[in-house]
Amino acid sequence: MSQLEFLRYVTIGQYLGRDSIIHRLDPRFKLLAFTLIVVAVTFSSTYTANVLLVLMVALLLSLSKLPLGHTLRGLRPALPALALLALFQMLFPPQSFGPAQDCTVIWQWGFVTLTTCTLQLIVVSTARLVELFVLTSLLTFSTTTTELVHGTEGVLAPLQRIGFPAHELTLVVTIALRFVPTLALQMERLVKAQIARGADFGTSGPFRIIKATRRLLPLLVPLFLISLRRSEALIVAMDARGYTGGRQRTQRRRLHAGPTDYVALIAATGFCVAILWIDTISLDQVLIAWLDTFLASLK
Amino acid sequence: MEPAQPLIEIQDLHHTYEGAGAEPVHALRGVNLTIEDGEFVAIVGANGSGKTTLARHLNALLLPTRGRIRVAGLDVHDRAAWPTIRSEVAMVFQRPEDQIVATTVEDDVAFGPENLGHAPQEIERRIRRALTTVGMWEQRQRPPHLLSVGQQQRVAIAGALAMQPRCLVLDEATAMLDPAGRRQMQALLRGLHADGMTVVLITHWMSEATLAERIIALQEGRVAHNGSPRSLFIDLDKLASLGLEPPPVSLLASKVARHHPEVPGEVLTQDELIDGLTPLLADAGSHPPTTLSTPEPPDAGGQPLVVTRDLHHTYLADTPLAAKALNGVSAEVYREDVVALLGPTGSGKSTLLQHIAGLLEPHAGQMTVLGQDTSSSREVDQRRLRGRIGILFQRPEEQLFETYVGDDVAFGPRQLGLDHQAVRERVRWAMDLMGLPFQAYKDRFTQSLSGGERRKAALAGVLSLRPQLLLLDEPTAGLDPRSRRDLLAILRHLNTAEGMTLILATHNMDDVAVLTERVYVLNEGQVVMEGTTRRVFSRAAQLRALGLDVPSAVSVMTALHERGWCRSEDALTIDEAAAAILSCLPPPRSGQNAVEDGGEA
Repeated sequence: MSQLEFLRYVTIGQYLGRDSIIHRLDPRFKLLAFTLIVVAVTFSSTYTANVLLVLMVALLLSLSKLPLGHTLRGLRPALPALALLALFQMLFPPQSFGPAQDCTVIWQWGFVTLTTCTLQLIVVSTARLVELFVLTSLLTFSTTTTELVHGTEGVLAPLQRIGFPAHELTLVVTIALRFVPTLALQMERLVKAQIARGADFGTSGPFRIIKATRRLLPLLVPLFLISLRRSEALIVAMDARGYTGGRQRTQRRRLHAGPTDYVALIAATGFCVAILWIDTISLDQVLIAWLDTFLASLK
Repeated sequence: MEPAQPLIEIQDLHHTYEGAGAEPVHALRGVNLTIEDGEFVAIVGANGSGKTTLARHLNALLLPTRGRIRVAGLDVHDRAAWPTIRSEVAMVFQRPEDQIVATTVEDDVAFGPENLGHAPQEIERRIRRALTTVGMWEQRQRPPHLLSVGQQQRVAIAGALAMQPRCLVLDEATAMLDPAGRRQMQALLRGLHADGMTVVLITHWMSEATLAERIIALQEGRVAHNGSPRSLFIDLDKLASLGLEPPPVSLLASKVARHHPEVPGEVLTQDELIDGLTPLLADAGSHPPTTLSTPEPPDAGGQPLVVTRDLHHTYLADTPLAAKALNGVSAEVYREDVVALLGPTGSGKSTLLQHIAGLLEPHAGQMTVLGQDTSSSREVDQRRLRGRIGILFQRPEEQLFETYVGDDVAFGPRQLGLDHQAVRERVRWAMDLMGLPFQAYKDRFTQSLSGGERRKAALAGVLSLRPQLLLLDEPTAGLDPRSRRDLLAILRHLNTAEGMTLILATHNMDDVAVLTERVYVLNEGQVVMEGTTRRVFSRAAQLRALGLDVPSAVSVMTALHERGWCRSEDALTIDEAAAAILSCLPPPRSGQNAVEDGGEA
């Protein structure tokens, strides 16, 4: 029963207000910088790059003054999936990691072989997923939905000139975000009302799918009707407030970028380029070779 | 001096809704009206009388099927005039959550001025003014869905005010508010009107309609009354034919006046009634306290049906958005009790109901329902328990999902696994009980029912489970006076004739006065007052401090009591208050009035 709390699963717009440099960034610049770092994460396949990325993420997290525990708690449901992914990568390594490459076998048991290459793949891909997760949480925790929407509109604004409906798109997204919690609460109330009338949302058994689908009907029909009625009411309300489309409409918020915003964007660009460069020159190999000679000299 | 042009001028307005494949509905059939600048007008009428349709013509949201409307001298058929018309006549609707477009309060208020194309500085100025006027400036950064309904409605008004209109139209905008929210809204409207705003208020609350200078009653799409509130509310026969009721205070005055001709029977407000009684009661001097012959209901013995001990509940526990809803609630409900849960919005009433229904699990504390401990054991036969507890949520009419009324009512019994004949019997019983005769209604389309009928169908769907315990969350909110009276009579019947135990959460104190025996008052998740309805309502000042109120009858009696007159403390309903006042009054002076009195009696 305690699971009947649908807002718990709606993390969109879970803004956590803190007085931090990350919170204060111009959302357009924050979005662009975020995109650049995500690009860096996506293309990093080496240890060095990921160590740098983890450090970067940790730096951003401490700058944002967000609670570490709460940010990482969202990872918990993803842990089994991460473990499964690692297992599959070990059992079925990509063909390109064949003996042709200079991979050394670390551990072998039956047909399962763990080479330095697969180990790197597992570590790096896990690290990348964690980095992506923390980065996304960082963005949504430190940016209100309104800022996100205005930021998106600001980033897309240049496309308006070639006929891209940036303003309309932004309004649609705003309203959608605005109604996510409302509809979640509505759904919760419908589920409770049906349970109170004897509906059962938890049994298993044969024909479960058919039963489950039939059980959804009492929820979906009213939810659709309510949503339709709501959107009708919203249209009337928007009409009454003089909405006629984007043409002569003004914007209350004008985003102003300050020096910090430019510095942040330049830093993110530099970081992204550096990561990509490290990856292409395979600094790892250089470092490993250096480490080997260093260890050899110790003996 | 030439008379100024009226703000709104309506001539022979007809409006017909044409549905695909459905019978056309003639919502308005020839309305003639003018509304002058600076007026305060109330529009009343039963459900379906055309109030909302009329309101939506006032700023060109709907266009006349026939007839003419001019707003600020502009013809509504002129599309180019719409932006001007909509900035002159702003509108607030019943449900604030359906009219808020943005994700923060201030962005939402900005929406109108942005649409009108104002400069950013001007928009900022308007946001500040509008939010200050409604008292929401401090909350400007918050997301709307985390505000109370009363706060959301004030944001909606701020959104309308930010367009700097000359006229504000409110379409049942107070229907969902708690007493404090309603009082604030009324004070706000009075203030706006004093500053020169034209206000058009559509309402089901007759005492709210008395705020207006002029009242317009609609009946089947025509104007049935257009005059002062007094001229409408003293005409009880006309009110009844319109499906309306007088404000409780007017009803009380007319009941007293019927037996005591020196009492003015034509009053609208409590102050007027007391002013009218003052000379008579002052003459009578200090009167010994009277007690009516209504005994306190016995503290019912036997096994309590519901027992909660130190119940705690937190929504979204372990997240930064955690909100404590129940903070140690202990309460008891006995068999065949009718218990009211009162409390301001967000005090935990709905949460407590859901706990009793077994839909939430307490985080701490004990809960026994129908003899089963539901707080700790997971092996409770929840399904069997659920068949015995019915719960009617807010706006239950939205939860109907079957095509035909009969099928929807049958949903519960079918889930319980009853055979066809038993299901049919229960559905018949529940529908007949609710005043939706089985034969006539079982094959009607759910969506073709009126609002009041749909609520009855939803309640029938709960009753068909034959619950021993019925929980109701705001059962009468948003109903017109006649549907409300019907529903209260049905609930009373369920208790007295069917022996059902009722627990209801409500904002309507007059409902509590006529229906319930005991009251729990919640505030911030704790029980702050409890006892018999009389005892709780005898503490008016404390209730008002909590943002609640007392029934109209109690309010009048308390005011008399404060002046040292007529110290009858146990009048709850209008009839009891009338009897109490009559017992305090000196006998009517014999004379010309006695004949009249005799004639009426």
